[in-house]
Amino acid sequence: MNRIPRRNCLGAPAGLAMLLLALFAAGARADDPPAAAFEAANKLYEEGRFAEAAAAYQKLAPPGRTSAALCFNLGNACFKAGQLGRALAAYRQAELLTPRDPDLRANLQFARSQVHPPTLTPGRLQRWLGRLTLNEWTLLAAGAVWLWLLLLAFLQWRPALRPALRHYVRALALLAALLCAGAAFALRAARFTPTAIVIEPEAVVHYGPLAESPAAFSVHDGAELRVLDQKDDWLQVSAGPRRTGWLRRGQILLPGR
Amino acid sequence: MRRLSSWIKSNSRRRSRQELGRGVALLAGLAWLAPLLAGAASFTATLDRENVTVGESATLTLRFEGGNPKSIPFPSDIPHLQISDAGTSRNISIVNGQYSASFLKNIILTPTQPGEFVIPALTAEVGGQVLTTPPLKLTAVKAPTSAVDGAGEQLAFFRLFVPRKEVYVGEILAIELQVCIREGLANGEDILQSFDQFNGCPLKVEGVSLIKTAHAQRRRGQIGNAGYGIATLVTSLSPLRSGPISISSMEVPLTLQIPLPNQRRRDPFDPFGMFQRLQVEERRVTLSAEPETLEALPLPAEGVPAGFNGAVGSFAMTVTAGPTNVAVGDPVTVKIQLAGRGAFDALALPEQTAWQDFKTYPPTAKVETTDPLGLQGVKTFEQVVVPQNPELKALPALAFSFFDPEQKRYRTLTQPPIPLIVRPGGPAPVAVAAASARNPAAEAPPPAPDIVHIKPRLGAMAQVAAPLVFQPRFLAWQALPLLAWLSALLWRRRAEALAANPRLRRRRRVAQVVRQGLAELRRHAAGNRSDDFFATLARLLQEQLGERLDLPASAITEAVIDEHLRPRGVPEAVLGSLRELFQTCNFARYAPIKSSQELTAMIPKIEAALRDLQELEL
Repeated sequence: MNRIPRRNCLGAPAGLAMLLLALFAAGARADDPPAAAFEAANKLYEEGRFAEAAAAYQKLAPPGRTSAALCFNLGNACFKAGQLGRALAAYRQAELLTPRDPDLRANLQFARSQVHPPTLTPGRLQRWLGRLTLNEWTLLAAGAVWLWLLLLAFLQWRPALRPALRHYVRALALLAALLCAGAAFALRAARFTPTAIVIEPEAVVHYGPLAESPAAFSVHDGAELRVLDQKDDWLQVSAGPRRTGWLRRGQILLPGR
Repeated sequence: MRRLSSWIKSNSRRRSRQELGRGVALLAGLAWLAPLLAGAASFTATLDRENVTVGESATLTLRFEGGNPKSIPFPSDIPHLQISDAGTSRNISIVNGQYSASFLKNIILTPTQPGEFVIPALTAEVGGQVLTTPPLKLTAVKAPTSAVDGAGEQLAFFRLFVPRKEVYVGEILAIELQVCIREGLANGEDILQSFDQFNGCPLKVEGVSLIKTAHAQRRRGQIGNAGYGIATLVTSLSPLRSGPISISSMEVPLTLQIPLPNQRRRDPFDPFGMFQRLQVEERRVTLSAEPETLEALPLPAEGVPAGFNGAVGSFAMTVTAGPTNVAVGDPVTVKIQLAGRGAFDALALPEQTAWQDFKTYPPTAKVETTDPLGLQGVKTFEQVVVPQNPELKALPALAFSFFDPEQKRYRTLTQPPIPLIVRPGGPAPVAVAAASARNPAAEAPPPAPDIVHIKPRLGAMAQVAAPLVFQPRFLAWQALPLLAWLSALLWRRRAEALAANPRLRRRRRVAQVVRQGLAELRRHAAGNRSDDFFATLARLLQEQLGERLDLPASAITEAVIDEHLRPRGVPEAVLGSLRELFQTCNFARYAPIKSSQELTAMIPKIEAALRDLQELEL
């Protein structure tokens, strides 16, 4: 019997590793920040120079690109520097890349607990939907729809099995409908209900989009508000059913934009 | 009341249906398996009534769950109390897949003199455990000489039974409403059964908290010179304020059916009375009981313990705690059980001022009652406490105060301190924050003091991708199963249409035969096989004409040209070419020699003729 030489056995994983390395190298770009700059920013953080660390982290990210760790550390530096709103914005940016990172979830939850009301508090349905990300909802819904349609196609091919599989078809249709509804709600919450984060220690919300308009209420650094409308340099925001007013654009950040 | 009255009528019609068999064999089989299937063992003793008049009976029920008792205890002789065995029974229930089985022993207690009788604690071994019931009290009062005026002459009446005239605010008292229906009434049994199934509260009373209504076992009694069937509704209540409290009953309109005396007249056509309906006289009455007055006494103002929070009753307390070896910040669960008699729903755990070195969370509570009125049972509190410093050596003594209406004084139960070992330190603050996010379903730990530390590695830089739902490639992939289903659907429809249209099916088959036949003709022409060539040509003509005329292929000859094609207006040129082809086939049968070139030269003519045939609209 011919034995395969040992060198050949090792060849395949090694080749795969080389291929992955090549792909990884291809993913990196010339304008990506060097690791040394990141280390330097981390050093500033460890020395307790949080504002400087935050500025360093912000300079590191090239336009349009970022990393979850960079956003996370930026959030930490802002939080420690007392910039709660900017910290929340950075954490939410990191959440787009690594939504299931437990450290990130812990910090986001902790930072939100420090925010002085009024701020948006998610309802029970929103909290439940928030257990999965929009992409996870989308994949689940798509999977259920695929299964359902493929089962329907199979039954066109084998119509004799229709009575036996009728309940499966209905159950899959129901499951697909529920998951699609979940995905739709998640999409609405994630993309069509924009939120703003206050970045000033205390910002006065006016009844109208004018500086002369009377003050309706005040919001504090880190408060998350729903954006309802926009006019010139003003945004109409809401912190609850009866707390609606206008804020200057400079007083808030719009995460994800 | 009208609703109850109509319910009584409809219930009498339903009764016969309800008495159908219920799968006795299955239950009997389950009864054998009861000890194997049952859960934790328990042994309880309950009285269906706590207050009776002399001569009446109360039923003591001993309930064994989780196994059969090794021996059934029986109350020892009690002076002036007749004790008689009423047999045993088994109860099996399967609710939501949860199986429970119990073994019941019923004992009839009949006082012969007024007074308070204490049924002593009973002990039994069930499922290997020795269990003991608390003592029970039965109060017997002298039978009223005229509870209701002319009671013995009435056909039906209510009577209220209030065991005491004085009660403390917060104390629980059981009030009975007895429904007495004279024996012999045609619908007496139906009326009593309807009251046995009545779910509401039969009393009208203000200034009290109505707790629960239960039904005592129905019985027969002698009132005056008449026998009555008696249904008893027992309602537990607790006064909310001091002062006189008037208690009255609901008013129920009833129709009593009194059998007429001339029932024995014989019908010559029905000598055995099998088809004879009972003749009755209907009498409408409205029943209500004579109101009673109860005096609610305020709790004594003297000697109120410091931790008293309004509990009234008679209780015993047990306290356990665990774990007792913890680090600072670790939770310790303290389980406090209050067992006895009282208003358990209103029972609250008093604030423990001695626990200031512990962080406490609101306790959870669970009530398990052992009697139908919910007066006796156990309330279990579970409170989580968190030691705040390592110098703690014990969980301080826990005290619970209540007013005992039997002893007419306040009592305080005290549990001695429970030793604890509290170690310093705990998990690092950062880890606490992370753990809270990793396990969000766990109980809320103390608030995290800080955020999780920064990440040491930069990781891969990436562009924040648009959600999948906005990515065209992802959306395009979603069209695949839809296309698969639509394709399968179209294929299926086409197959079904073909199956339902034999002409279409034949047309397609013949088209295929013609395609293959033309190829064969070319091969025969190339091979100079004249006989085969013309045989194939004849077959093709027959197949195509047969399909066009909807006739069998074997029935096609040259004659169809004049018989079928010409009358249908087929152009003369087509007819001519077809006739020529038929005649060529016939000639070849007798003079088959043709050269390969001649045969090949015929093929375009054949193709044209067949194509013309296929395009004909016949």
